[in-house]
Amino acid sequence: MYNAGMQGSKPRTPYHEFYADDFTPRDHYRLLWNHIKATGNSALEAKAHESQLALQAEGVTFTVYGESEEGIERIWPFDLIPRIITAAEWVKIESGLKQRVRALNLFLGDLYGEQRIIKDGVIPPELIYQGRDFRREIVGIVPPGGIYTHVSGIDIIRDEKGEFLILEDNLRTPSGVSYMIENRVIERRILPEFFSKYRVRRVEHYPSLLLAALRSLSPRGKDTAEIVLLTPGIYNSAYFEHTFLAKEMGVELAEGRDMVVVNDVVYLKTTTGLQRVDVIYRRIDDDFLDPLVFRSDSSLGIAGVINAWRAGNVAIVNAPGSGIADDKAVYPYVPDIIRYYLGQEPILQNVPTFQMTNAADREYVFDNMERMVIKAVSESGGYGMLMGPSSTPASRKEFMGLVQENPRNYIAQPVVYLSRHVCYMDGELEARHLDLRPYVIYGEDIEVVPGGLTRVALRKGSLVVNSSQGGGSKDTWVLAE
Amino acid sequence: MRYLIEHETILDYPQTVREHHIELRLAPRSDRHQQVLSCSIETEPAAELATYTDYFGNRVDYFCVIPPHTRLITRLRSDVETVKENPFSFEAVQPGEEQEWLHKAIRNAPPMNDFVLHRSLLTPTAMKLAEATSHAFPRREKERPVLESLQELLAWVPTVMEYRSGSTEVHGSLTTAVAQGGGVCQDFAHLFITVARSWEIPARYVMGYLDPGISQAGDTLTTHAWAEALVPGAGWIGFDATHNLLTNDHYVAVAVGRDSYDAAPQRGSFKGEASGAQPAVSVTMQEQQ
Repeated sequence: MYNAGMQGSKPRTPYHEFYADDFTPRDHYRLLWNHIKATGNSALEAKAHESQLALQAEGVTFTVYGESEEGIERIWPFDLIPRIITAAEWVKIESGLKQRVRALNLFLGDLYGEQRIIKDGVIPPELIYQGRDFRREIVGIVPPGGIYTHVSGIDIIRDEKGEFLILEDNLRTPSGVSYMIENRVIERRILPEFFSKYRVRRVEHYPSLLLAALRSLSPRGKDTAEIVLLTPGIYNSAYFEHTFLAKEMGVELAEGRDMVVVNDVVYLKTTTGLQRVDVIYRRIDDDFLDPLVFRSDSSLGIAGVINAWRAGNVAIVNAPGSGIADDKAVYPYVPDIIRYYLGQEPILQNVPTFQMTNAADREYVFDNMERMVIKAVSESGGYGMLMGPSSTPASRKEFMGLVQENPRNYIAQPVVYLSRHVCYMDGELEARHLDLRPYVIYGEDIEVVPGGLTRVALRKGSLVVNSSQGGGSKDTWVLAE
Repeated sequence: MRYLIEHETILDYPQTVREHHIELRLAPRSDRHQQVLSCSIETEPAAELATYTDYFGNRVDYFCVIPPHTRLITRLRSDVETVKENPFSFEAVQPGEEQEWLHKAIRNAPPMNDFVLHRSLLTPTAMKLAEATSHAFPRREKERPVLESLQELLAWVPTVMEYRSGSTEVHGSLTTAVAQGGGVCQDFAHLFITVARSWEIPARYVMGYLDPGISQAGDTLTTHAWAEALVPGAGWIGFDATHNLLTNDHYVAVAVGRDSYDAAPQRGSFKGEASGAQPAVSVTMQEQQ
């Protein structure tokens, strides 16, 4: 499917976000650069220390799962030097994301409805019918407003030419938004003077945007909206975020066992009796949502909630079944999906992708594994992935076997050398690779919060930014016009 | 024929259970082969029933019993009239054009893909099943009419397995049944489906009832299972591999799906200390005048 520019490519230089060349910063970083030069490393050290204390005091943590079953809770790794995105750059990102999210929602409505896109031969049926996240149980149910993904976190990277590319659509239960906000809180504290100088746009209103979107979905109208954030519980890696968002929005945080469905109405069990629930912002996967319909061995969900949803008595955010649209095997078709539903050219491009179901693609990937990233289509968070440049012969052999066993389950992409940025690491300014996850809320309209979570690969030369794999983060400044 | 069907399921739990949600796929379907004259479902404890049509077109009746209980009973009573027809009376498609007919049927109705592509422990990849059980599976010659090939398949299945009541578990792996050379009606249906799908002929699982006068199950009547395959020119035709029969007016179809899991007559979820109860099922099917 993609071949151009691959053969015999020489080592490429990643784009540098901060420096235009070895000696000069890009224009929008000059103010910050001057300040760093003037105050020196000792001032940076003091700021770094201050940010560490603040993160500890706020209890901003995340959980890492390793070989052992038990997760380890760590303080959120924060780098104090902000990543800055100009107004002009943001215009493109924002319009590209809106376009993409609109098209993906039309796609979901079509898949769970008439399936015109399959009948018209744009999407091969195998892709959908062999996709783990195509949920037959919800076919024919139309969610309020026809919207499935009220919250998306879409990963964007910048290639060697400085072009923004979409890496992944996260449309299930994307996490990280609490860190976007915490990063901002800390940064305001340690670099207060720059916010007005730079005219940085706000991100702290995210919880109120989300709350408004959730309210707008209430079957009893937005003025009587009882909202619950459904968490799998304290052992989940994103539990910090669940408590954070529930608190910020002023909604109940609950587990499945705290709720009950009675004759198609969902209730929260409270000390004063059953209280009707109108909107569930769920942070558990479809598989665990309703043991009556999906995995029967799950005790995390609410039995009967899908029938309550079908009856129109409760809204579920994001809608069940959304996962088929961010299946990594569907990803290569997103540009066609945009053209099909909107009649527009995609504003933001995909990373070139090889489909392992295609024999020629597969052979090419096997011949070039050291330059490829191979990903399992239904995994996220950097799990189930082979990074070619750092892989061993044994791991390459293992992945070759896995791909041959189940080609539908894998895709491959040429390694993109993510753009770099300066980070303050142990007393030195060093370059590290990073990406960006902006958050898109689809309520009565689509809004992209100006900013996002910039994730940094803390290990030198590493291209893996996931916090579960040892990534860090930066505050992301989107500048006003 | 006209049948009165009664189907009772009793779940007894050693400890109390609560917040019990149940979905039933018990109501016979109405189509050109059979007409439902009456159908009622009652429960004990009494509950408010609601209904919806699932993805495969099955009617689902569902309800909940919230307070603690140790026993749950569901009773279906349905009066159904079946139509006697000749399964061969359809306008056949020329053998050379059958493949195109099937492709078109799938293209026009994408959900049909499921009945060709679906693989599970119940309906595995035919090649893997053949390897695991060292059986030579029948191949289909493309110039032979589809119906003829399917009839040969129907006759082949009982040569691989014999009917042994209670020999396999509900939703158990097909490989186990084939390897031990014995199974129940589900296994016969799944084997037929598995091979038909390897020929790229859409095939689906049917759960329903069979006149006890014909059934191998004899006195211990429960639900029966067979397969339906899409035959060019005819549409879905029923194949009962357990009895090596094309289905007729002695069969009453209830629910269809990719495999027995989709068409399970009863599915539930509850809270409580008790593990799942072994359901006590009794079915009667009486011919009416």
